[in-house]
Amino acid sequence: MKKTYWRSVDDLTGSPEFRDWMHREFPDGASEHVPSDDRRTFLKVMGASFALAGLGVAGCRRWPETKIVPAASQPANRIPGVPVTYCSSWDFAGFGQPLLVKSYDGRPIKLDTNPAHPWGGAGISAVAQAQVLSLYDPERSRQVMSKGIASSYEPFVTFLANTSRELKQKGGQGLAILCGAASGPTHAATIARVRAAFPKATIVEWESLGRDNVIVGTEAAFGAPMRVLPAFDKAKVIVSLGDDFLYGSPDAPQWAKRWAVGRSIDAADPKAQEVARLYVIEQGLTSTGMCADERIATRLASMHVAASIIAEAVGVGSGSAELRAALTAANSSSAATALREGRGQKVFDALVTDLKANRGRSVVTAGATACEATHALVAAINRALGNEGSTVTLHAEMQTASMSSLQALCKSMESGEVDTLFILGANPVYSAPVDCDFGGALKKVARVVHLGLHADETARHAGITWHIPQAHFLECWSDTRSFDGTIAVQQPLILPMLAQGQGGRSVDELLAELVGDGPADGESLVKSTHESLASASAGGPAFAEIWRKTLDRGFVEGSALPAITAPPMRDAEIAKTLTGCAWECDSAKGVEVVFLRDMKVWDGRFGCISWMQELPDPVTKITWDNALLMSPKTADDLKLKRGQMAAVTVQGRTLEAVAWPVPGWSDGSVGISLGYGRSGAGVGLVASDAGFNANRIRTAGAPDWTTATAIAATGATYSVAHTQDHGAADALNTSVPMQGIQERLPTLVREATLDEYRSHPDFARHRTHVASRLSLWSENNLEGAQFRWAMAVDLSKCTGCSACVTACQAENNIPVVGKDMVLRGREMFWIRIDRYFKGTNAASPEGFALQPVACMHCENAPCEQVCPVAATVHDEDGLNSMVYNRCIGTRYCSNNCPYKVRRFNFFDYHRRELSREEGIAKVKPEYYIEEGPDVWLRMQFNPEVTVRMRGVMEKCTFCTQRIQAARIKAKNDWARAGGTASGQKQFSIPDGTIQTACQQACPTGAITFGDLNVADSAVSKLHRSNRSYQMLEELNTKTRLQYLARVTNPALPRESGSGYGGHGSGHGSDHGSGHGSDHGSGHGNGNTKG
Amino acid sequence: MSRFLFPRWTNAILPFILVTGAIMPLYAVLVVAYGFSPKTIDAGYMPTQPVPYSHALHVGKLGLDCRYCHTTVERTSFAAVPPTQTCMNCHTQIHRESPKLAEVRSSYETGLPIEWVKVHKLPDYSYFNHAAHVNRGVSCVECHGRVDQMEVVYRHSPLAMGWCLECHRDPIDRLRPVSQITNLAWDQRTEMTREQREALATQYHINPSENCSTCHR
Repeated sequence: MKKTYWRSVDDLTGSPEFRDWMHREFPDGASEHVPSDDRRTFLKVMGASFALAGLGVAGCRRWPETKIVPAASQPANRIPGVPVTYCSSWDFAGFGQPLLVKSYDGRPIKLDTNPAHPWGGAGISAVAQAQVLSLYDPERSRQVMSKGIASSYEPFVTFLANTSRELKQKGGQGLAILCGAASGPTHAATIARVRAAFPKATIVEWESLGRDNVIVGTEAAFGAPMRVLPAFDKAKVIVSLGDDFLYGSPDAPQWAKRWAVGRSIDAADPKAQEVARLYVIEQGLTSTGMCADERIATRLASMHVAASIIAEAVGVGSGSAELRAALTAANSSSAATALREGRGQKVFDALVTDLKANRGRSVVTAGATACEATHALVAAINRALGNEGSTVTLHAEMQTASMSSLQALCKSMESGEVDTLFILGANPVYSAPVDCDFGGALKKVARVVHLGLHADETARHAGITWHIPQAHFLECWSDTRSFDGTIAVQQPLILPMLAQGQGGRSVDELLAELVGDGPADGESLVKSTHESLASASAGGPAFAEIWRKTLDRGFVEGSALPAITAPPMRDAEIAKTLTGCAWECDSAKGVEVVFLRDMKVWDGRFGCISWMQELPDPVTKITWDNALLMSPKTADDLKLKRGQMAAVTVQGRTLEAVAWPVPGWSDGSVGISLGYGRSGAGVGLVASDAGFNANRIRTAGAPDWTTATAIAATGATYSVAHTQDHGAADALNTSVPMQGIQERLPTLVREATLDEYRSHPDFARHRTHVASRLSLWSENNLEGAQFRWAMAVDLSKCTGCSACVTACQAENNIPVVGKDMVLRGREMFWIRIDRYFKGTNAASPEGFALQPVACMHCENAPCEQVCPVAATVHDEDGLNSMVYNRCIGTRYCSNNCPYKVRRFNFFDYHRRELSREEGIAKVKPEYYIEEGPDVWLRMQFNPEVTVRMRGVMEKCTFCTQRIQAARIKAKNDWARAGGTASGQKQFSIPDGTIQTACQQACPTGAITFGDLNVADSAVSKLHRSNRSYQMLEELNTKTRLQYLARVTNPALPRESGSGYGGHGSGHGSDHGSGHGSDHGSGHGNGNTKG
Repeated sequence: MSRFLFPRWTNAILPFILVTGAIMPLYAVLVVAYGFSPKTIDAGYMPTQPVPYSHALHVGKLGLDCRYCHTTVERTSFAAVPPTQTCMNCHTQIHRESPKLAEVRSSYETGLPIEWVKVHKLPDYSYFNHAAHVNRGVSCVECHGRVDQMEVVYRHSPLAMGWCLECHRDPIDRLRPVSQITNLAWDQRTEMTREQREALATQYHINPSENCSTCHR
């Protein structure tokens, strides 16, 4: 007899599916029984298994047997379960990033910046933190491949020895080495050894997203390539010509920290408050543009014209008629006219006035994609303004321009001059410009060795002889130089996670093996480099002591590059570069196509990191894809709507991408990020089919921008998973589509101009009127608590870089949900950055607002009141605790939360395979990964935080694990000292001991966490500040997370008059009477202690 | 309409059926409440270990302090099970040929660890910290029982949340001077007055938290 009340018919017929299902939900004994068609047997089995489920099968316990596995021989000073931190570093395309790596039982789980490092020590970027996940990437290459067949490292050693001998006899003729830019001295020394052993070899250090323009531009200006270090913290005026220094550069955290110094609103007398002013002239919309006080959007091709407008006005070329003539010519071009249109002229006037008034205290900087002429002019402008030596310092540039070297290499490969090619840590088959045809040239080379972290497009190319898995930077020795030249050591924290004999070499180790004369292990290479560096400065302590200190502290003392004072300024060369800038700015030629640098995937190498694919782009909030970004007006002109696929044709090659209008983008210019659109075997589940491959239309001659001959809709549509849609205008509608948001915005994100702040310093308190402070429910009694944890977020300093988002994800085991779930709004980030456009014209917004939103830990939490099982409760220190095991998933708490910061785990995301499909969400059990989260990815989990399963709500906990750790340690130390007998009445935690993950990562220091009970703690001071306010305070939630209102410093008045609505309009009548009284009570921070 | 007719003889057993029908649900509830509670199921768990290590011998008879092996109990949340090295500190000299120690010797030689079965397992979502308790006067014996009398370690306490809260709500009886922490035979309920224990509580500011966030992270 068939049972009708079971889910599927094959339940009862004993199908493997059903057995599988049972196996998962019930303990061991039950799955061994084969349920037959017989009802009696079936009931017996089910009855037994239900009983067994309660009692457990073996040993009458409720949990599976667990093992404790101590070491056989425990190393000294290593306590199992206590994390150890080591200093290391990482080379990000030639920019060394100092790191502090937290290692748990031998597994590195979290990366942060090294606070002692003279250059670093600011926060850490999102992409840098994501590197810990790339260590545990299950799709990493783990197999040596020889012509596509699995092999091992031993035969490769033989091959290498033979090749090396053969090449040495020829003096290296026919040998070519292609690797990425690496900044450290060990790499430089290894390359020198290679050159010595193979004098005729071609060595190319090439980056797809390189700094060629800067190098050539500064060479033109100074005679030798210069590295320009701006000191944003000392500048009163910053002018950025396409330089996204707050987010779009590997060193963005360092720049952001310095910029934030100028934005600190901390003057004792508000009337004397000064704020540095940021002017941004850019092609697309970037984080820096969103933080700008004044902004002009223009085509990238016109950037040098913008530079020449400024140059002429500040007196560049006073000593050179040639340069003056070139400037005049540029400034009378059509591009210059376009730049000055509308507000443009006023902005330029204000800019020039500010620069002239702040000689020696300003910085003019240009982005990596701006042409060489722009960089040359910027050098001249800084010289003319007297910035050199004070706010801008010059240092010798260590990198070389490389795109032309790559082109030359491709040509020699094509012509058969190269018979042995080593591709080390690069993926040129994917990321090289399309006209180099690297893939085609590769076929002509007899022997090709590829060293890579993934078996990517290059590794799988038919022409590859050997593919060797590369060691991750956390697995091997090396060293790096940060932008200022400080040398940091890169030390391994874990052995290469590969089977024995499967490679796991770093670039330098492989090269040393190729040279073959001496030790080739990373540690000896690095130590010998440092020994020679140390002996260079003779008469100091022994090398062993220096080495110990270097490893302990993470950097080599005094290794920063010295400043070069006043190198010659070559006006004639600058003039030549300027006039030679053959880039037309004529809009009649076609729409400009710009190749953007995506800080999540860079040139595609980080596309396999799921955290980065899921991280919403700070500007567009797009996840899991890139898009063809354009202004609403351009979209109109091209007859494209958001979500429509467009075909972009450049010199006969076509790229199809989804159109995405972005308010504030420049007209006549579209942009698309590189690094996406990978497909094919070996790319892996995460990066596959994510976005569109812009390399298809990128040529070596025009790697930064080009002109499209045609951009037209293809008729297809594409759904883009983005996490926020406020104000992103549908191009046809130029009036603001979301009026309600615009009216509400001033109370959520409170801002004022500097003038307003000076005249009305507590403007932030006056943006809302709180009608009454009655609660709907009885309030928590938090009197007498030893701690009152609270947080303050300074909106003046937030750049929207999203480092906090990734830090939180790394620290708290937050799962990645995949594109189909992001489409449903189910991303799991505990902190999100809300981005708003401002103004009344969607096509050209007046400004932008950014606000990080996490759980507010309301004292009067709406969520706590409605949980039927008390899974979310308030603890006495003010934290809103989430007890995962108690949660039954009613989601009522999320319903009640006015800030929508609670995230629900719908599908046990740690075990669910990522999917890009829309449509029916996959809910059937088959897609569960059998063994739970991948064995590798599991290693990144932080053991201090529960890993949540489906059906459970989660949210920001103010890093309660860090609070508890600090608290327990302080308590224990006090108790061991004797308790009250020790002299201290009670244990205490010094301010600054506890740093939440987001706070630790934030480069600008926008996030502050601490104890309100301590009157002079940083957070108490900020909560008492006149800029502090609670979000949605009219709901009387009494949040512990307060915001500090943003103070902008525009040069020109805004269209909407004073401030942003708020007080002025519509409040005249209800202001008068009740004002005095509710000012007193309703203000302050509204918490019990006031 | 027809009544469902039982045979006549069932009239006699009808009272029994009613009584049983009333008691059965009650019985089922009691079985679940008592039979399935942590006190029944979790306490008393005594798994077989790979090596027949006897605490009664080493701690009870020979007098080893708990902390000689479980070295991290005062420093961190986890009281570490000792590495093979610790065993071999003595057993390179003592009972060198004993078959009971074969596993230990092979672990020492090969470097592969001994896989002990965990007795006092808490769920993954609860975080217990040994150091916080041991440093403030809570002895091993309060939770682990008389380990110095156990031939094979068994779980003396249910370690359920309700059981933890019993102490957290009234800790005075469980406190002793820190010097007596590992003296499992000593009982502060008889050796100290309640006032003395209350003084300890004051000295160490014993104010056990009942907040969820204390243990659930």
